Amino acid sequence: MTRFIAQRLLAALVTVWIATIAVTLLVHVVPGDPVRIMYGSFQTTPEELEAIRVRLGLDQPIWIQYAKYLGRLLQGDLGRSIVGDQPVLDILLVRFPMTLALAMASLVIAVAVGMSLGFLAAYKRGTWVDAGAMILAIVGVSMPHFWLGLLLLFLFALTLQWLPVAGGDWMSLILPALTLGLANAAVLARMTRSAMIDIFDQDFVRTARAKGLSQTLVLYRHALRSGLVPIVAMLGLQFAYLMGGAIVVENVFAWNGVGRFAIEAVFARDYPLIQGFILFFATVVALASVIVDVAYAFLDPRIRYS
Amino acid sequence: MTTETLDPRSADADAPVAASARRKPRSFLAALLRSPSGLIGLVIVGLLVVCALTAPVIAPHDPLRMAAGPRLQPPTWDYWMGTDDFGRDVLSRILYGAQLTLQIGVIAVGISLTCGLLLGLVAGYSSGWTERVLMRLVDVLFSFTEIVIALACLAIFGVGLTNAMIAIGIASIPFYARVTHSVVLVEKGKPYFEAATAAGAGHLRLIFVHLLPNVVPTLIVVGTLGVSTAVLAAAGLSFLGLGAQPPEPEWGFMLSASRDLISRAPWMMIFPGLAIAVTVLGFNLLGDGVREALDPRQRQR
Amino acid sequence: MSETLLSVQDLTVAFGRGPERNVAVKGLSYDLRKGETLAIVGESGSGKSVSSMALLGLLPPRSACIESGRAMFRDRDLLTLPEADKRALRGDAITMIFQEPMTSLTPVLRIGLQLTEALVEHKAMSQREAEARAREMLRLVGLDQPERRMRQFPHELSGGMRQRVMIAMAMAADPAILIADEPTTALDVTVQAQILNLMRGLKDQFSTSIILITHDMGVVAEMADRVVVMNRGRKVEEGPVSTLFTAPKEAYTRRLLDAVPRLGAYAAAAEPRRVVEAPAPVGDTLVRARGMSKTFSSGGFLFGRGGATTRAMQDVGFELKAGETLALVGESGSGKSTTGRAVLRLMELDAGEVEVDGVDVRNLSSSGLRKARRRMQMIFQDPFASLNPRMSVGKLVAEPMTIHGIASGSELDGRVEELFRRVGLEADHIRRYPHEFSGGQRQRIAIARALGVGPKLIVADEPTSALDVSVQAQVLELMLELQQSLGLAYLFISHDMAVVEEVSHRVAVMRQGRIVEIGTRQAVLNAPAHAYTRALLAAVPVPDPARERQVLPELDVGTLPMGALAEVAPGHMAAQ
Repeated sequence: MTRFIAQRLLAALVTVWIATIAVTLLVHVVPGDPVRIMYGSFQTTPEELEAIRVRLGLDQPIWIQYAKYLGRLLQGDLGRSIVGDQPVLDILLVRFPMTLALAMASLVIAVAVGMSLGFLAAYKRGTWVDAGAMILAIVGVSMPHFWLGLLLLFLFALTLQWLPVAGGDWMSLILPALTLGLANAAVLARMTRSAMIDIFDQDFVRTARAKGLSQTLVLYRHALRSGLVPIVAMLGLQFAYLMGGAIVVENVFAWNGVGRFAIEAVFARDYPLIQGFILFFATVVALASVIVDVAYAFLDPRIRYS
Repeated sequence: MTTETLDPRSADADAPVAASARRKPRSFLAALLRSPSGLIGLVIVGLLVVCALTAPVIAPHDPLRMAAGPRLQPPTWDYWMGTDDFGRDVLSRILYGAQLTLQIGVIAVGISLTCGLLLGLVAGYSSGWTERVLMRLVDVLFSFTEIVIALACLAIFGVGLTNAMIAIGIASIPFYARVTHSVVLVEKGKPYFEAATAAGAGHLRLIFVHLLPNVVPTLIVVGTLGVSTAVLAAAGLSFLGLGAQPPEPEWGFMLSASRDLISRAPWMMIFPGLAIAVTVLGFNLLGDGVREALDPRQRQR
Repeated sequence: MSETLLSVQDLTVAFGRGPERNVAVKGLSYDLRKGETLAIVGESGSGKSVSSMALLGLLPPRSACIESGRAMFRDRDLLTLPEADKRALRGDAITMIFQEPMTSLTPVLRIGLQLTEALVEHKAMSQREAEARAREMLRLVGLDQPERRMRQFPHELSGGMRQRVMIAMAMAADPAILIADEPTTALDVTVQAQILNLMRGLKDQFSTSIILITHDMGVVAEMADRVVVMNRGRKVEEGPVSTLFTAPKEAYTRRLLDAVPRLGAYAAAAEPRRVVEAPAPVGDTLVRARGMSKTFSSGGFLFGRGGATTRAMQDVGFELKAGETLALVGESGSGKSTTGRAVLRLMELDAGEVEVDGVDVRNLSSSGLRKARRRMQMIFQDPFASLNPRMSVGKLVAEPMTIHGIASGSELDGRVEELFRRVGLEADHIRRYPHEFSGGQRQRIAIARALGVGPKLIVADEPTSALDVSVQAQVLELMLELQQSLGLAYLFISHDMAVVEEVSHRVAVMRQGRIVEIGTRQAVLNAPAHAYTRALLAAVPVPDPARERQVLPELDVGTLPMGALAEVAPGHMAAQ
């Protein structure tokens, strides 16, 4: 188990390390002069641009730039945003709690709705309940996040006026969390159903039935406990998708999270901010997948006791 | 437990006569049409293609001409889906938008399928170091998620619909590479592959005669489902303003333009969103249908 | 005659509806008496499992349908019983054990819970009482440290141990009827012997009636009092075990019994059974293997790490002459398949030498190796998976000849047709695809494919173990005939001692990656020098109910000599 966790942590570290290489290369593959693209709109003179280039270290060979970047990174320095002229880390840290709140709320909705729907469909396989749940799920999967968001906004905020359009308090979290949560619930429902159908076809479920156990025991003790293992294993990926979706949903609801800034940064070609965002995002997703892996390992005795 | 059958031919000991009357597999198309999802998906995708091809003929108005009608006109007999804030006909824009959507699907999936297939095949076939390094890299990129990779690409190329298509294509390469890799591993592990090796087959024969024909069906399924992901992603980027630029009649962009007018002109929001959702649904259903048609055992899934 | 416990009448079960409907069991009737073991025997597709699953209501719902019949047990019809009543009988009065011990226990639950839950459910025991009973049962089925076993998870136990747990679970409720569905098919022969002993002992102790579902006539002869023979969903014949074996009434039963290989049937002959008039003589040495070793390490993360390693082969060496069959026998994990692959260099060795037809296989370049493969071909165990499903069988048979440039165009077509006829298939099936053929036919196709390039050596990895006995007999016959007319050398990998006796000139017994005994077939099988060989031979169930049923010998693994080979007689070596 310890070895397993150490392995997963190492894997996460490799992910982050590759991300640092990727973001360093990012600035170098930009067609044209990154300094001009970034600062050109401020009508800077060639001398000033040259000074910026030296200050950013862009005049040096790439491996030196990378080494220095890593060095600064270890001191918690992600560079300064060009547009806002603030430290990138500060921006991310201020905004991240908003994104995290959104992501967690959505995850809860997705897991609660998606897993129960999928489990129900698998249990009632081949009936109209199954068919209905799966139609709902495939429609949900096909629905763009942002459209679902706009529809909910139109219905609950503008027409019924039950909930605020935007803001920052918990009331205004409901709509974005619902949007992101329901969209991911649909994906999760499909995955849960197929995982549970696999489990229901397993020999050990037949053994449990042959023992004459009650339906409840067969379902929850034998099938669901076993089914949780593959389902939880899929949650890591699901969380990454959810974080990706948050970028869009934050923009629909003007939710002041990390994602909104990322889009603005891409528009403004604010490379330090973009670099910081990608690195930050990769780190969060990698950590989340470590947590999920540990949870998964805990559920599976084959890993827990090895 | 295997399902035991009482087919007089299959249960027959081993008369070398044959299995002549054994049920022949239905043709692929027939199987596709028999599955409800395949049929509905095929109809939706077919309609989309027809709309895209005949848009110039069937569109009642010029999608780009401003003030073709009154501004913010609710749906009427002249303007079935109403008009937008520039007085453009929403229906015509949606019909022309089908062209863009198909283009996005084909280009994005084309890029990711080709590169992903190549990567996955090389990694899966080569095994050893090449495989480990390639797949480790692919896994890491995969964990960045498609939207972040697409954003990074757009940060490099700059915004625009063409760039967005390419960005989405690139962003999905890790996914296709992983799928290909895992299918190649499964096929490589089957005895027929070892049997071909034992018969003396060389690399080219092993790859093109044995592996590829068994890998491609899965990729057709994944590619079909992938069109829906690509369409969603492109609409998302356009919605964020990173993809299509005015005045392109792109659905995601139209949605974005409707945001400030939702209460005054909800039709500007409802119809483009519906177009995206139905298109995506169509490709999802078609993908499910193709999967079922290729593998009858999956029918219950 | 003792009283009838269960009476099945006119049972018909079908899968699917309408035109897709497949009848699995048709009008089956039999009685099970108190305290007897009734064997239901049949080949695959005979409906033997389905009929028993139907009794307990364990058939897959919605796809299977019991169309008619009655199954009277304690004056009630099991088939029409409400689900709640059926559930009360399942796991209490009627219990079941299954074929696959590896997948039949829930992986995420402790053994203790799985053993006790049925007792708590049916016998209204407290958890503490149930645990005491479970410990007692674990001791009864011969598992040591019952306290520890209760806390373990299934993956911590071997297949044989898991099957013991399954038996403990089934017997804990003191059932009236135990249904055992191929209980030893997935187990090695020495483990099978232990499980069969255990079942016999428990049956007497608990006076349980057993319905034993099996395909293995040896197991039937060892275990059954009466036998029901099934074929294609129908009962063919029913009778006491001795009458059935000595005087079968139906032609099908006779054919089935004739096809069963019997260990000892060829003990008197030095050579395999002659099937052609003038068999090709055994020639010069064709394969020389020395010191072959291979260690597998479980795949590492990132760039590999020192994970768990298994020594698949250690210092394996043998010689094989042209026209001769050397059988490699052993249980699962003994390294016999690895050895076969190593000879063909389908896998790279850590150490050792392999020479085939004067060519040093290990030092060939990759193009040289491809050329050399013309001399050595392979036949695989699973005829369903070893043929590429997307190639027509004609193309499959032609492929090796195309690769080695032996023929092309109409000449190739002609040779493919000729090969088809040679292995007993019709030439006009050439354009069909593998899934249109039965298992035995597919194995013929695989043989035709190997023959096309005129090989001198064929490595046959369990070529008949996926086939029904009647089909197995035909495929073995074909292989013998081909060897004797073409002078082929076979490296014949098998776990079945009776099959080995029928086909081989020489035998090598493998255990844990080593050859523990090697010599002529008569020397090794008739006068085994190594304790493991003796145990293997003694554990084979004998398809002869007249023989007095002895306790099948069990193996003391700890004391087996696993050292270097030494000569015990000329040409006969055993590990010391």
